[in-house]
Amino acid sequence: MTVGIPRAMLYYRYGVLWETFLKELGCDVITSGETNRKTLRDGVNFSIDESCLASKIFMGHVYSLIGRCDYILIPRVVSYGTNNSVCTKFNAIYDIVKNTFDNVKILDYNIDAKNGKREAGSFIRMGKTLGSSLPKAFFAYKKAKRTQQLSEKQRFETQQMELDGCRGLKILVVSHPYNTYDRLVGYPIAEYIRRLGGLPVYADITDRKQSIAKSKELSESLYWIYNKELIGSIKLLENKVDGIILLTAFPCGPDSLVNELIMRKSKKVPTINIVLDELQGEAGLQTRIESFMDIIRERANIA
Amino acid sequence: MNQGYLGLDIGSISTKGVIIDENDKIIAGEYIWTQGNPIDAVKKILIELKKQITDKNIAVVSVGTTGSARKLIGSMLGANIVKNEITAHAVGTLSVYPDVRTIFEIGGQDSKIIIIDNGIVVDYAMNTLCAAGTGSFLSSQAKRLGVRVEDFGKIALTSSNPTKIAARCTVFAESDLVHKAQIGHKREDIIAGLCAAVVSNYLNNVGKGKAIRPPIVFQGGVSKNIGVIKAFEDVTKEKILVDENSHLMGAVGVAILSKKHRQDKDFNFNVCEMDFETKGIECGKCPNNCEIICFYRNGRLIDAWGNRCQNGDVMAMASKNMTSV
Amino acid sequence: MQKTISFPHMGNYNVPIENMLRHIFAGHKIMTAPNITKRTLELGSKHSPDFVCVPFKYNLGNYIEALESGANVLIQAGGGCRYGYYAEVQEQILRDLGYKFEFVKLMSGKVNPVDLYRVSKRIGTPLSFGRFLYFVLLAIDMVKKLDELEAYIRENVGFEVVEGSLERLHAELLERLKRVDCFKELRAVYKTYGEKIRGVEINKPDDCLKVGIVGELYTLMEPFSNFFLERELAKSRIQVSRFITVTYLLFEKSRMKKKTLKSAGRYLKYELGADGTDSVEKSKTLAEKGYDGMIHVKPFGCIPEINAMPVLQNISRDYKMPILYFSFDSQTSETGIKTRLEAFIDMITMRKEKGV
Repeated sequence: MTVGIPRAMLYYRYGVLWETFLKELGCDVITSGETNRKTLRDGVNFSIDESCLASKIFMGHVYSLIGRCDYILIPRVVSYGTNNSVCTKFNAIYDIVKNTFDNVKILDYNIDAKNGKREAGSFIRMGKTLGSSLPKAFFAYKKAKRTQQLSEKQRFETQQMELDGCRGLKILVVSHPYNTYDRLVGYPIAEYIRRLGGLPVYADITDRKQSIAKSKELSESLYWIYNKELIGSIKLLENKVDGIILLTAFPCGPDSLVNELIMRKSKKVPTINIVLDELQGEAGLQTRIESFMDIIRERANIA
Repeated sequence: MNQGYLGLDIGSISTKGVIIDENDKIIAGEYIWTQGNPIDAVKKILIELKKQITDKNIAVVSVGTTGSARKLIGSMLGANIVKNEITAHAVGTLSVYPDVRTIFEIGGQDSKIIIIDNGIVVDYAMNTLCAAGTGSFLSSQAKRLGVRVEDFGKIALTSSNPTKIAARCTVFAESDLVHKAQIGHKREDIIAGLCAAVVSNYLNNVGKGKAIRPPIVFQGGVSKNIGVIKAFEDVTKEKILVDENSHLMGAVGVAILSKKHRQDKDFNFNVCEMDFETKGIECGKCPNNCEIICFYRNGRLIDAWGNRCQNGDVMAMASKNMTSV
Repeated sequence: MQKTISFPHMGNYNVPIENMLRHIFAGHKIMTAPNITKRTLELGSKHSPDFVCVPFKYNLGNYIEALESGANVLIQAGGGCRYGYYAEVQEQILRDLGYKFEFVKLMSGKVNPVDLYRVSKRIGTPLSFGRFLYFVLLAIDMVKKLDELEAYIRENVGFEVVEGSLERLHAELLERLKRVDCFKELRAVYKTYGEKIRGVEINKPDDCLKVGIVGELYTLMEPFSNFFLERELAKSRIQVSRFITVTYLLFEKSRMKKKTLKSAGRYLKYELGADGTDSVEKSKTLAEKGYDGMIHVKPFGCIPEINAMPVLQNISRDYKMPILYFSFDSQTSETGIKTRLEAFIDMITMRKEKGV
């Protein structure tokens, strides 16, 4: 049995969990390649024009997996608990794919804490779909969860070390991981920062619980959990970084409001807001980041 | 004396006019630039159309208008029908291609797709966001590349390796185009790339989710561009039909509709000698502050529109007060 | 100190809300925000984030105009998709603009009578809990009755024999409702106007054109934001059906959730978020009932309704029922909307004539 994983959206949060789980159950796993121009073009072709860039890229990855595997893994997420919900795009992405491609078999699971659908139970059900016994699925999930946590811990520690050891400009990239690490979206930005002698620091690499608690300082009524983690991270790191880049994929619903609030309320560190869509020219982006870092340096010199 | 029916399609970029006969055949047709002045454009067209029918013993008995200035010109000519351009294009095209199932239309600032089943419009869409990928976009890019837009198609056909250009938004496309030219892409490749971009932009925007089935008829100003026609054929893998009068289809359609609604009132070409004027006034009677367009013929108010509420009903007030506004 | 309490517009719901607030905050001034005009939207857009959905901009414009007219207490509700987060961002924007005001946020999920009463006490209600509850329930009942009568008007206004009769009665009804003080009076007004409205002579053929409208709640319910779509359809003698009302959203939707999803059949496995599922289910149901077309409205970038669109396209194809899609933003051109709508009406008219 081969399961395909689209390298987009929640892959960047749960990739390790998925791969470990599926491999434990004896599945072959193929992950779609890094986003390229073709993935994007296909994604645009198969999406409603007004959809966000991230979801268009997702559709491109799904398309690239069709015919190459028995199932494509597509999770459905609504909420992780009271006031911890997610953008409705994650509610709907399963049905969007179903209604866009006729010939696709989907392996899905559902996280909807309010309705009693939690991760562990959903994974065990998914295991059953794949023909494994309950205990086998349970242990596979346990192991996958541990592996995931370990990898998160390692990334966190590495980032902490880099932060402590860095003498150049430290730029906090605040964006959903599916933007930050996408080859066409956030990756070039991190590269520019590095090339200009800076260190990209990633807001999504954080202690999530701590971050969520800290997010209250910037926004009291925020209920999108992914955004909470990101803005809490700003609070946790604002004394350690020199600049903040808010990076958003046009026209992201949650970011449209949350980033506005950050720009208005978080004034300690120089911040720019970059909105990317599928037609962004690279040259313009490079110029913006260069000038941003120049300004930060100038300010530091004056001070 | 035979009867003729006048149809005018007044778009933002060009104005088209036809006179058709009882059998919907074009007996006179003309096409000129609107140049921001629809009234003058229509006068010029009328003079030309009149010339074309001088010796033909024809009386024009009804008038229809379509296109973005349809209301203004409808009022000017006392048209018996004023129709949106989607319906007009469909009716016009059906008169030439009764079997057509898909109409692609790319004009100066608008693009649309019309899906037809058994001679009836069953679905359609128009561009939503901006003028990207339309005629005005191609003209501005042609200027930038120092090429006449009329030659675009021919040049595009000479390319063997079209450059990939993002054309959803004019601003983005321009920066992309400059970039591509700077890094050394050949001019014909860029032009072919632009044609392909227009097509992919069109199919992704207005064509999304639509059942595109042959026969496909392509019209509007851009249908004269053979590069775009080829790009459409490459993508759809279908033959694309372009009529020699494709640019007149909207006018033909509205002439046919006007024939159906005829009141047999002889049309007088002397409107060309009359003086027409529009004045925009700000209503100011409520915070909506609607801009009301007042339309005058030889100094007398004949129509007004643009008001959202009764406060701005200039015509009603004028008839009540019998004073000029 | 006397306070001036204001709230944003949506359709005619300002009537029951104003009535409720007037009773609850006796001694204070209740001020419905000035009517929505182009200026409202311009003001709102100017101070709003770029690609936030357009209801945010309307609400913000309402607040600014209310503050300019002397309001010092603003109320915002919230819940679902981005709407629940409007309040915090709007408050911040208004504070940054330098206005002084008290901002009351009623978030869904936390709204129950006891909490509402606590909030109202803080603002300054002189009422006991019992009386307070009475007027809340009165307003709720008024909303239900208003929604019911408006649904009748919507389906019939295009077919009245004497043009303008229903519109006139509708306006009278709204004025009358503002002055209602108790349930008995509400019932009497409902009865009188129900009879008058249903008594208006209607000439509606059985096979008249029928169009359903679905989509995002604000652009559905605030006529200014959809360029008076329902009125335009009625002018062409079309029966207009719309399901999303405040009554539906507050009292029926959650009860119907499972049923709605099931009724969407093979088109959906899960809910799409906010009212996306309703848009799908209603389109399918109306297609099965033989409606001539659907119009789907949403603010530009509205995620749950964009989620619904690929599904709607399939429904449109499977049932051969045209669906017209509108996205509204502060930049939307009225001419563009009118042209598309006119073509849509032509299309469904001709389809009907030829019996497609």
